[in-house]
Amino acid sequence: MIRVKGLHHSYNGKDFAIKGIDFEVEKGEIFGFLGPSGAGKSTTQGILTGLLQLQKGDVEVAGYNMNKVNNKMFNKIGMSFEQSNVYSKMTAKENLDFYRKLFDVPTREPRELLKMVGLDGKENVNAGEFSKGMKHRLTFARSMINNPELWFLDEPTTGLDPAIAAEIKDIIRTENRKGTTIFLTTHNMWIADELCDRVAFIIDGEIKLIDSPKNLKLQYGEKLVDIEYMKDGEVLKESLSIINKDDIKKMEEIVKNYEVQTMHTKEATLEEIFIKVTGRELV
Amino acid sequence: MKLFYSFIKELKLSSKSFYFYIEIFMALIFLILLLFIIPNNFDAKATSYIYFDVPKFFSVFGLDIDSLKNEDIDGKSESVEFKIDGEIIKTEFYETEDSRIYVANSAEDVELLAENKQNLGIVIDGKNLLNPKMTYYMQGYESKKMKNLYKLLNNRQSTLAQTKAENQRVVNLMDDVQQLSDKENLIPVFLTFNGALMGMFIISAYIFLDKKEGIIKAYAVTASSVATYLLSKVGVITVTTIVTSFIILFPVMLSQPNYILFFIFLIATSFFSSSLGLLFTSFFEDIMQSFGAIFVIIVGLMLPNIAYFIPFWDPVWIKIIPSYPMIQGFKEIISPQGDADYVLIYSGIFILVGLFLFIYANFRFKKTLTV
Repeated sequence: MIRVKGLHHSYNGKDFAIKGIDFEVEKGEIFGFLGPSGAGKSTTQGILTGLLQLQKGDVEVAGYNMNKVNNKMFNKIGMSFEQSNVYSKMTAKENLDFYRKLFDVPTREPRELLKMVGLDGKENVNAGEFSKGMKHRLTFARSMINNPELWFLDEPTTGLDPAIAAEIKDIIRTENRKGTTIFLTTHNMWIADELCDRVAFIIDGEIKLIDSPKNLKLQYGEKLVDIEYMKDGEVLKESLSIINKDDIKKMEEIVKNYEVQTMHTKEATLEEIFIKVTGRELV
Repeated sequence: MKLFYSFIKELKLSSKSFYFYIEIFMALIFLILLLFIIPNNFDAKATSYIYFDVPKFFSVFGLDIDSLKNEDIDGKSESVEFKIDGEIIKTEFYETEDSRIYVANSAEDVELLAENKQNLGIVIDGKNLLNPKMTYYMQGYESKKMKNLYKLLNNRQSTLAQTKAENQRVVNLMDDVQQLSDKENLIPVFLTFNGALMGMFIISAYIFLDKKEGIIKAYAVTASSVATYLLSKVGVITVTTIVTSFIILFPVMLSQPNYILFFIFLIATSFFSSSLGLLFTSFFEDIMQSFGAIFVIIVGLMLPNIAYFIPFWDPVWIKIIPSYPMIQGFKEIISPQGDADYVLIYSGIFILVGLFLFIYANFRFKKTLTV
């Protein structure tokens, strides 16, 4: 669905924000593009969605060559922006009604979409009166209006309360099950871990690795056991590896000699792996 | 169809915006000024204060009380009093076809009136009838030519001047020319600034609002083009311009203007100025950033006004400023013998240049989209 080869991009003609990245996204996949602010995520996504002009490299999106952007391509694409961008002087329904007229393919019913993102009953309210989260959901709903085959999601759960964020994640899964390919840009490793089939770590305009979260955990993660125990009337905490021999020995010693309060296994998070691989935090 | 839907949406949005009502409000203000405040023709009568220090029944330089009475519109004078610094100054007022004359009772009164009322004061000293004198109290800004003219007026009985004037050959280049009144002469300026050029600033305001809301990005990822988005804005500005210009023109001029030419020229100038506004907007992120440039453009576009109202100041370079042919074009449209060719040629030029600006603006908008 997406083919990127040797992609470079510079904003000033000298320094490259993207330094020759290569990757492919297969049809039906949820692909996570992860990195901290300024890593090049938005630039890459901007090129893939035609917002930024392709300067160097070969990019194909939904079967279209991005050297010359063809408007027809957008019939297959949906884009949910991180910053909500809706007409504040139009109602939620008017916003969706207007955008559905800009596509040449069958579109979805605005009311259905509004209900899906929890905005039912707000159809006739001006978007300008919406909270930040509601505007974000409206922007998210709008990105589905043309039943996209390829759906770009930029930080789709940012600023949403956990319950709504969970609903949004469910919608993403549902749409993916229907066959929609999803390109998810985020710095939130939890959502990437939950949703993505594969993730790419991008730092300073370069992709450091691409793999599935499961493989990354197997490859880079270290299984740990968090243990809390009483020693001399004091509660102590230890995080011990179940691979390291010294740690195993220490764990046996604790279980044998002290009163264990709690004990559970802990898997390495994607964030920890990211730090391990890139040496940088996801800020 | 996408253009039509975008246009309808823009029309709805503009009707909900503050700027739309500013344009309507400004047009109504101009209309009220034209209908109720501005006279058909500005008063060009000169006002002067005169004291005749002349023996009774004598005339100096052809001036005397009896000749003033004869020239007075109703053949009689009125007593008029001025209060200056607590002092009452009594005068006799005469109004002729081309002047207002207050005859004072002393040279001191004339001096005081000229100084305080800022008009010409004249003291005619005819005590020595063989060598009469005239003293002028001027305001200090009169040109040398004007002063020479006063000197000539003193000699208006001179046979040389009279003979020259009578023998002057006058050739009428155009006969039966109907001129616009002073009020009508103002309409082209109002139409240019309220219609065509306000559109330039209003479209900038609309685009800056959309930039702030991120609307252009959202539009850019639909199966419609950025050009459609921009063209729908131009369409709204054109409609608003037609409505507001009609508000100004029709109640004042009724059926006199050539309305077909009027609409052609409005569409052309509006397209040009909207495209210029679009291009201008593509260089700035928000309205605050663009203030300096807006100021320079406003001043530049105001300059042709000076040439319009002061015909002897008409340098070649000023004709390049778009507001110059706009004002002239609107003048031709409302003039009874207006030059239709001028209007049509400039309509074509505005459309062509506007098209070039639009294409370049579209290119810049696509190029400057951000993520």
